[in-house]
Amino acid sequence: MTDLSRRGFIGTSGLVLAGATAVSGRTAFAAVPEAPTMASAATQAPLVPTSGPDYQPVATLNGWTLPWRMNGDWKEFHLVAEPVEREIAPGMIAYLWGYNGQSPGPTIEAVEGDKVRIYVTNKLPENTTIHWHGQRLPNGMDGVGGLNQPHIPSGKTFVYEFQLRRSGTYMYHPHSDEMVQMAMGMMGMFIVHPKDPAFRRVDRDFVFLLNAFDIEPGSYVPKVNTMLDFNLWCWNSRAFPGIDPFVVGRNDKVRIRFGNLTMTNHPVHMHGYEFKVSCTDGGWVDPASAWDEVSIDCAVGQMRAFDFVADEPGDWAIHCHKSHHTMNAMGHSVKTYIGVTKKDLVSRIRKAAPGYMAMGTNGMGEMGSMEMELPKNTLPMMTGYAQFGPVEMGGMFSVVKVREGLAKNDYADPGHYKHPEGTVAYEYKGAKLTEAPRVEPAKAKPEQATWQVKDPRKPRLGADGKPLPGAKAGGAHSNH
Amino acid sequence: MRPALSPAYRSHVVDIRRFALLAAVSVILGGCASFSADGGVGTAQAVAYAELNKDVVKIGDDATALGARARVDQLLKKPLTADSAVQIALLNNRGLQAAFNELGIAEAQMVIASLPPNPRLSISSRTGTLSLEIERQIVGSIFALATLPARADVARDRFRSAQLRAAEAVLKLAADTRRQYFRAVAANAQATFYQEAKASSDAATQLFKRLGESGGINKLNQAREFAFDAELGAQLAQARLQRGQERERLIRQLGLWGDDLKFSLPGSLPPLPRLPGIKAVEAEALRKRIDVQIARRDLDLLAKTLGLTQATRFVNDVDLLGRRIYDRKLTVLADGDIEREATRTRLVELEIEIPIYDFGQSKVALAEQTYMQAANKLAEKAVNVRSEAREAYTTYRASHDIARHYIANVLPLRKIIQDEALLQYNGMLIDVTQLIADARGRILSNVAGINARRDVWIAHTDFKHALIGGGSGGGGGSAVVAAAGGGDAPAH
Repeated sequence: MTDLSRRGFIGTSGLVLAGATAVSGRTAFAAVPEAPTMASAATQAPLVPTSGPDYQPVATLNGWTLPWRMNGDWKEFHLVAEPVEREIAPGMIAYLWGYNGQSPGPTIEAVEGDKVRIYVTNKLPENTTIHWHGQRLPNGMDGVGGLNQPHIPSGKTFVYEFQLRRSGTYMYHPHSDEMVQMAMGMMGMFIVHPKDPAFRRVDRDFVFLLNAFDIEPGSYVPKVNTMLDFNLWCWNSRAFPGIDPFVVGRNDKVRIRFGNLTMTNHPVHMHGYEFKVSCTDGGWVDPASAWDEVSIDCAVGQMRAFDFVADEPGDWAIHCHKSHHTMNAMGHSVKTYIGVTKKDLVSRIRKAAPGYMAMGTNGMGEMGSMEMELPKNTLPMMTGYAQFGPVEMGGMFSVVKVREGLAKNDYADPGHYKHPEGTVAYEYKGAKLTEAPRVEPAKAKPEQATWQVKDPRKPRLGADGKPLPGAKAGGAHSNH
Repeated sequence: MRPALSPAYRSHVVDIRRFALLAAVSVILGGCASFSADGGVGTAQAVAYAELNKDVVKIGDDATALGARARVDQLLKKPLTADSAVQIALLNNRGLQAAFNELGIAEAQMVIASLPPNPRLSISSRTGTLSLEIERQIVGSIFALATLPARADVARDRFRSAQLRAAEAVLKLAADTRRQYFRAVAANAQATFYQEAKASSDAATQLFKRLGESGGINKLNQAREFAFDAELGAQLAQARLQRGQERERLIRQLGLWGDDLKFSLPGSLPPLPRLPGIKAVEAEALRKRIDVQIARRDLDLLAKTLGLTQATRFVNDVDLLGRRIYDRKLTVLADGDIEREATRTRLVELEIEIPIYDFGQSKVALAEQTYMQAANKLAEKAVNVRSEAREAYTTYRASHDIARHYIANVLPLRKIIQDEALLQYNGMLIDVTQLIADARGRILSNVAGINARRDVWIAHTDFKHALIGGGSGGGGGSAVVAAAGGGDAPAH
């Protein structure tokens, strides 16, 4: 088939609206919905639907939902595939490819039975397509370049049209130079809500994608040829301490959904609760056949959702249980110096390598509290401070913050959990212990606190109330 | 009775008188070529002063010896600089003194050559029973006498050539000393750097030993690290050997021994010399080069010699011989009386060698060829000197560029590598071994940088002497090849 005839075919099939040399402001594109863009990497409030059927919107972790417009009975979205800058965590920027200003792209939310029309404009330097992972749709809309459709050339806008046939948890990602484009961060969530808003409804519904990058410390672009040895393990292209907490009101029904677009599986483990898998990309799991877990493994290319009732207040860790995945950039060939005294060698090594400090003799935990200068644009291997000290984590790590009395739409970080007296592990000092007191959890009032990269116990302000030299203004990182 | 002299005889007497007069004049003329006050080292001193800003003395007596000794002692007290090394060599190198002695010899020969030939006087007596013949003879080489001014001139020129050669010896010694000084200092600095590399390597080895004990490393990787350290040890030994050799070579240039050997050298080479923007290097070299001057003088000399040869083409030797014969005879007469008869004869002989077989053509050809040989050699020298000046300048520029490249690029990059490696180490992104390997890489680059800077100074010296003479390309090159580069980092 010649190029010309292929174009003719596409034209008659209604896939091509126009050659998209420009997306907005041209009469030719008057019919194309606006492509909203997002500059912030913070979690945006769920987008409550104002048209079309009602549903309970999801909260995209460190992300946002793509607004749409109704055009007759079509729900129209506009995705722009483009290079983006994404903050992986405070102090580190990645040059990625994504959609509408961010990687991952915005979450698409719609309702079962909706007819969706998705405009896809390619602003990448190469061809792309979008595959709607898990959806039932006409074969020609499945987005495998070459197989189901011509690739979307650079500068062109294609249209995907299909009706959403079943509710559930889905993803979208390119199927054109797939390896490179996914390694560059092209992906997004696609949530299809049930027609019946009451169907397996929850109060808070979190979604995110597991993704991984290999960005050499000090560089900005992921190494797309890396197969397994990634150094940044992300949820929605964020690494701890950049990943927002899951803020939940006590006794809320909570669903957490995630898809895996890394190159390995991730056993996602949540502390404090057992939960049941409620949904996969294959569909809803029959409650009768669901069983309790505290970790759920998500294979590559899969999606999982689990539900629980947040009846235990506290700051509950949630993380991938592959311990390297809760670390940031680290050297995988660093030797183990446990038990190797280096102190007396320090001065000798310093002669050749000034500034050298001995590390690792007692393990690597000290890394969590050390604040040594790093190469530009990278993250400490383990970091983050909470109320009891360094968290010594990185990568795929966050906290489910269950608090009493949160407003329905309040996703703001409530700060550190205030433990009721006598409910924190304590040092044994030799005295005979009575039975531990059973205290009902006090009504902890959320207080405005934030994740901090730096140790809050170290002074940032001088006696005059001005920042000490070297302390960044507002150095404490707020996720909001 | 005194017999009357024949007219012919009278004229001979006149000739002899003229001869004596001529001889006397010649002696007066030749008297110009007497021994000079400075033994002929004046030229060398002037050249040394003008071109090197250094003093040269010919040590001929205790006072000069003591003076020179005192200055050498003074200079040896401080760490040597290139200039002080050259000054010491000029004062203390016995080879140079020997060259001055040679100059003295040349001067003596000049003086000899400029003296008129000594007339030969002979007396012979023949005694018979009754007769006595006494013959007094005075022989003077007219030829030698006639050519005396010319020969004196030639001898003076020869002496001047010798003076220039002595000056050249001074320049050569200065060039060699300067080059050797830079080599010795560079070898010093190089050995120091290797020592540092070895020290850090030793620390790493210690670390690997402990890692082996803690179970943190296997034998294979341990052995790899140890091997690196061991090889570095060999390199260090080689660097030390070179340091010793270069120092000894410098010592020979300086003419030192005994307690003088304790002199110290600076730890590093001076900063790069400023690159001159030279335009007329060739012209300057042709004008100043002392070997060109020598060759030119030699040619002039030969020209004079050739003129002499042509003038005496048919005459090899002319000897004027004056003879006076006293002849006395006793005759016993029949009467028993004794008759005494005495005659005095004066006679002048001219002895000429007649060139029957060689009419002088061969001699002329010899002289001509010798002259042409010298002329061609001078022409060749002029070509070579131009080329040498250009080459020396190009080499100097290029080595300057290389050294600047080390200073401006390689070493700063090495520093960045080391700084960034430290940051990466801080983040536990790389192992301490990598940190040490990068540090070693930097040290080795520094060694290469030192060698580059040494080469600049040597090229600088070569260039200077390519313009004034006394130097033949010293060249650079290090015995210890710096194995710079991070590529040798052990696998971890």
